[in-house]
Amino acid sequence: MITGTQDLARDLANAGVVRQRGFWRGLLASPSGVIGLALVGVLIITAALAPLIAPYNPLQMAAGPRLAPPSLAHPMGTDQFGRDVLSRVVHGARLTLLVGTVAVSLSLVAGLALGLLAGYAGGWLERIFMRLVDVLFSFTEIVIALACLAILGVGLTNAMIAIGIAAIPFYARITHSVVLVEKSKPYFEAGIAAGAGHMRLIFLHLLPNVVPTLIVVATLGISTAVLAAAGLSFLGLGAQPPQPEWGFMLASSRDLISRAPWMMIFPGLAIALTVLGFNLLGDGIREAMDPRQRRRQ
Amino acid sequence: MTEILLDVRDLTVAFGTSRAVEGLSYQLARGETLAVVGESGSGKSVSSLALLGLLPPRAAQVLSGQAMFGGTDLLSLNDAELRRIRGRRISMIFQEPMTSLTPVLRLGQQLTEGLIVQEGLSARVAHSRACEMLERVGLDAPERRMRQYPHQLSGGQRQRVMIAMAMLVQPEILIADEATTALDVTVQGQILDLIRDLQAEFGMSVLMITHDMGVVAEMGDRVLVMHRGQKVEDGHVSDVLARPRAPYTQGLLEAVPRLGAGAALRSAPRDTAERRVILRADGLRKSFARRNWLGKTQAETHALDDVSFDLCAGETLALVGESGSGKSTTGRAVLGLMPLDAGRVMIEGRDLRDFSGSALRQARRHMQMIFQDPFASLNPRLSAARLVGEPLVIHGLARGQELTDRVADLFRRVGLDHGHMTRYPHEFSGGQRQRLSIARALATGPRFIVADEPTSALDVSIQAQILDLMRGLQQDLGLAYLFISHDLAVVERLAHRVAVMRAGRIVELGPTDQVLHAARHPYTQQLIAAVPVPDPALRRNRSALAYDGEMPMGPLTHVAPDHLVAQ
Amino acid sequence: MLVFLAQRLFAALITIWIATIAVTLLIHLVPGDPVRIMFGGFQTTEAELEAIRTRLGLDQPIWRQYLMFLGRLAEGDLGRSIVGNQPVLDILLERLPATLALTLASLAVAIVVGMGLGFLAAVKRGTWIDSTAMILAIVGVSMPHFWLGLLLLFLFSVTLGWLPVAGGDWRSLILPALTLGLATAAVLARMTRSAMIDVLDQDFVRTARAKGLPGTLVLSRHVLRSGLVPISAMLGMQFAYLMGGAIVVENVFAWNGLGRLAIQAVLARDYPLIQGFILFFATIVALASVVIDLLYAVLDPRIRYAK
Repeated sequence: MITGTQDLARDLANAGVVRQRGFWRGLLASPSGVIGLALVGVLIITAALAPLIAPYNPLQMAAGPRLAPPSLAHPMGTDQFGRDVLSRVVHGARLTLLVGTVAVSLSLVAGLALGLLAGYAGGWLERIFMRLVDVLFSFTEIVIALACLAILGVGLTNAMIAIGIAAIPFYARITHSVVLVEKSKPYFEAGIAAGAGHMRLIFLHLLPNVVPTLIVVATLGISTAVLAAAGLSFLGLGAQPPQPEWGFMLASSRDLISRAPWMMIFPGLAIALTVLGFNLLGDGIREAMDPRQRRRQ
Repeated sequence: MTEILLDVRDLTVAFGTSRAVEGLSYQLARGETLAVVGESGSGKSVSSLALLGLLPPRAAQVLSGQAMFGGTDLLSLNDAELRRIRGRRISMIFQEPMTSLTPVLRLGQQLTEGLIVQEGLSARVAHSRACEMLERVGLDAPERRMRQYPHQLSGGQRQRVMIAMAMLVQPEILIADEATTALDVTVQGQILDLIRDLQAEFGMSVLMITHDMGVVAEMGDRVLVMHRGQKVEDGHVSDVLARPRAPYTQGLLEAVPRLGAGAALRSAPRDTAERRVILRADGLRKSFARRNWLGKTQAETHALDDVSFDLCAGETLALVGESGSGKSTTGRAVLGLMPLDAGRVMIEGRDLRDFSGSALRQARRHMQMIFQDPFASLNPRLSAARLVGEPLVIHGLARGQELTDRVADLFRRVGLDHGHMTRYPHEFSGGQRQRLSIARALATGPRFIVADEPTSALDVSIQAQILDLMRGLQQDLGLAYLFISHDLAVVERLAHRVAVMRAGRIVELGPTDQVLHAARHPYTQQLIAAVPVPDPALRRNRSALAYDGEMPMGPLTHVAPDHLVAQ
Repeated sequence: MLVFLAQRLFAALITIWIATIAVTLLIHLVPGDPVRIMFGGFQTTEAELEAIRTRLGLDQPIWRQYLMFLGRLAEGDLGRSIVGNQPVLDILLERLPATLALTLASLAVAIVVGMGLGFLAAVKRGTWIDSTAMILAIVGVSMPHFWLGLLLLFLFSVTLGWLPVAGGDWRSLILPALTLGLATAAVLARMTRSAMIDVLDQDFVRTARAKGLPGTLVLSRHVLRSGLVPISAMLGMQFAYLMGGAIVVENVFAWNGLGRLAIQAVLARDYPLIQGFILFFATIVALASVVIDLLYAVLDPRIRYAK
C-alpha cells in the first residue's frame, strides 16, 4: 500500500495538474523521480526485449548443471531443474508488467465508475456506497483477493482478476475524494448555474478533471499490484509451474535456501527494485506537486 | 529625548538566493507604537521574526545587521540566550488565532507554561496570574477558560488568549504580526482597542505589522513603509499619511477604498415609477443541521432566517455582512443552487419551485452568477471560447458560425482581445479571468446576475476596472445585480440599495446613501465604525463599536419610505 | 465522547454484518457446483453429494441459507471443515493465539522502530539523518514481506545459525515478528515523518517557541502530543494491513497461525473454513479499530469534548 495516496490524489486534484510543464520539470529535478523513472524504464525495456536479453529459454531444463552458483555462463546461477535463473528473471518482467497493468486497469475502470457515480449523486446513495467501501477496505486487499481466489480457483489469470477486484474499493475511494474536490470547486457550480445537465456535468466538467489525477495514482498503484501478484504466487495461489514468475520462483527457493541462496536473492531483488521504482516515482511526483512545498516559497 | 528601546541597523535576511529583507534600519522608542506596513512579500513579517530567531530554520538566513536591545545585539545571540528575551521581554502575537494555539493542550497549560519555565513561578501563582490576565483581556469565567481547549473558543476569543499569553510576562515590546487580519471587522476593532488600552496601562512599545493603512492610522505613532524587502519611507503617521513622499506610498494610499467617496461614481438610480420587480425573495429560511449518526438533529445553525427583498430591473442591490452572515447563502438560494427549508423565490412572478429539473435548467438563462474566485470558477480544461460559449450551447441559442460570432461579440463587450479565444484559463491574468466570467454570465442575455464578492480576489487597481465594467454593462443592458460583498467602500460605488445581514437575517435595508451615512441599526453602525480609515484625524467612532446592548433582530419596520430596520 | 464510542461500535457491527453477507454469497459465486469442486476428488456418489448439499443447506433459497447461517452463528457454530471434519470455530480458536502473538509483537516493533525513525527524521529534517531514515523507509516499503523474511531467514538461521528455521517456541517468533514489524515500520516511519512535519510547520509551534520554551519542551509537549493524533487515526488501517501481512509471513516461516490455515483452506477449497476465516478476520480487524479509535479520542480533545 502506498502511504498517503489519498492525500496525494487530493493534492493533485487541488493543484489541478494543469501546469504540466512545471510538473515534469519538478519531477526531473527530484532525485527520487529520476531514479524511479529509470527503474521503471529498465523494467519496461527488459519486458519488451526479454527474448533478446535472456541468454536461454526460461523454460529450458538442464540449460546448465542443477543448482549451479552464479558464474559467467549463468550470472544468476541455475535452479533445481538446471534452468537459467537470469533468463527466468528477465522473462518474469513480462509477467509482472502484464499482471500489474491488467489488474490496475480493471480496478481503475471499475473504481472510477463507482466513485464518480457516488460522488456526483451525493445523498444517501453516496453514504451507503462509502460505508460499504470503508468496510471492504478494512477487510484488506489480501483477504478480498483470497476470497476471490476461493471462488475462481487458483492460477495467474485468476490472481490477476482477484487483485484487480480487491483494489476496486481503493480506487473508488480515491475517485470519490477527487470528485469531491472537483465538485467543491466553483467551476462545477458555475456549470450548474449555466444550466448544464447531468451528462454535461459528469462527462464534460468532472471526468476530464478527475481522470488525470487517477492516472497518476493508478501508475503508482501498479507497484501494489505487482507486490500482491508476487505474494499470491509465492503462496502457491498465483503462477503455476513452470511459469517464470518472480514470486513463484521465490516460493520454490525456500526449501533450497541453504543450498542455493541465489535462487532466492535475484527474483526477490527484481520484485523489490520494481516496487521501489514505482514508489520512488510516486515520491518524485509528490515532491513535484506538493502544494505545501509550493506555498512555502 | 525618548529612550530608544530597539535599534535595528542594516538588517538583511535571505530565503535561499532571494533577499526577503535588505538593509532595513529602524528605531523603536519606549512606549511608542511603530507600524510596519507593506503588502504580502514585502518582508515586514520576516524582519520581526528574524529579531527573535523564529524564522524557519535552514530556509532563511540572516546575512547581516544588528538589533540592539538593552545593550545586546539580538542577532548575535544563540537560541538559549535568545530564549531569555523571547517571550519574556519581547512577546509576539500572530495572525491566525485559529492555528496559533496548540489544539491538544488546555489553555491553562499554554498560558502558564511560559511563566513556570521562564520566570520559575509555581504552578499556583502562574495559574492565578493567568486568570487575572484573562479577565483583563475581556474573557469571562477565567477559571473555566483555563480548563478549556482552543477549539472551544471563537476566533476573537482565541486572539484575546494570545494577547493574554503575550502580556503575562509584561514585555517591554509587543510585536503584533497582522494580529487582526483574520478577524471580522467588528472584532478587529475590539482587539485593536484592547491592544491600545493595554499599552496605556503597561507602557510597552508595540511593533504593529500590518498591510492595512486603516490600522496604521488607527494605532501607529510612527510608520515604516516596506516594499520588496526595503524601507520605502518612514515618519510620523500623520505626516506620512497626509503627505506621502514615496510614489509607492502614494499609490498604496490612493488604492485604499474610502467610504464616502463612491457615491459620485454610481450610475443614476432608476426612477421609482418604472420599477419592475424581477426577483423577489420572500421569507427565505435555511438551516444547516448537524446530525448525529442516527440522523437525529443535534445542532442547528440558521443560515437564513426570514430573508425577504426585491430586486428591480436595472438596479444593484448589495448584500453586506461579515463572514457567516448568510449573504452568500442568499445568493445561492435565489439561483436555486441550494434547496430552501421555507420561503419562495419568485423570478418575474414565477415561483422557482414550480420549475421542474429541466425547466429550471432552461430558466437559468435568465439568471447568471459571477463568482469570487475567477480562476476556480472556470473549468481549467475548456478554452476561453468554449467557456464563454457554453451557456449558449447548453440553451441551444447558437451554433456554428453564429456561435463563434456571438462569442467574439461577448469578448469585445467585456474588453477581451479576440486573439485570446483559444487560450485556457490559466493563461489569463486575474482581472482578465473575471472578465471571462462576466462574458460567460452575459452570454444568455440574463435579466439579473448574482455577483458573489466578484472583486475581492483582485488587486485594488483591477478591482476598479471590473466595477467600471459591471456598471457600464448595467447601463447598456439594463441588468440587475445582486451584489454580495463585505467591503462597504466597494458597495458604495456600485449599489443603489443595501441590505445589511447579520446571523442569517436582514437587519437594515434601504438606499445606499441612507444606510451607509445615516445608519439606523446598531449593527450597521458598528460595521461602518469598524472600517479603518487611513486618516489619523478620523479615528473610529468608539462608542458605536463598543455597543454591547441586545442587537434588535426582529421584523423589519419602515423608518422612511424605502428604509427598513429590524426592531 | 460516548456518542463517538457508540458510533465506532456501530460501524464495527456493520462491518461484521457485511462480512456475514459476503461469506454467504461467496459460495454462490463459485462457478459450477461448489460441492462437486470440494468433494470431486473423493470417491463420492451422486446421492452422497446430494446429502452434503442438504447438510450445508445449499438446496435452500439463499435468504433462507443466510438466516440459517446467522442462526448457527448465534450458537457459535461456524460449520465443519471439509478436510478435517472438525468444527471450524475450534480450528480457528486453536490458531488464533499464534497469529495474535505474531501481530502484537510486530506491532510493537513497528511502533518503536517506525515512529521513532519518523519522529527523528522530522525533527532533523533536511539533515543526513533524515535522508538516511527516509531511504531506509522507502526501501522497506518496497520490500516484499516474503523476500525480507527469506533474507532474514538466510542471514540469521542459515548463515549465522542464531535462530531456528522453524518451530513453535518464542525464539521462532523473533524472525517473523521482525519481518512483519520492519515492513510495517517502514510505512509508519513515512507516515510519522509527514505528520510530524505538518505539526512542526504549524503556527502553534512558533507560538510555543515565541514563548521562550526550550526546544525539547516544545517537541515533547506541543509537537509530539499533536502529531500523535493524526498518527493514531491511521493506526487502525495499519493494524488491518498487519493482519493481512501476517497471512504471507506465517507462510514464509511455517508459523502455524490463521494465515497459514487460510492458504491451506483456499488451496483445498475448504469453503466452510474459508468462510469462517474471513468472518473471523473481519471481526478482529473491526474490534481492533474500535480500540484504536478510542485511543484517538483520548488523544484529541476535539473529539473528547464534542457535543
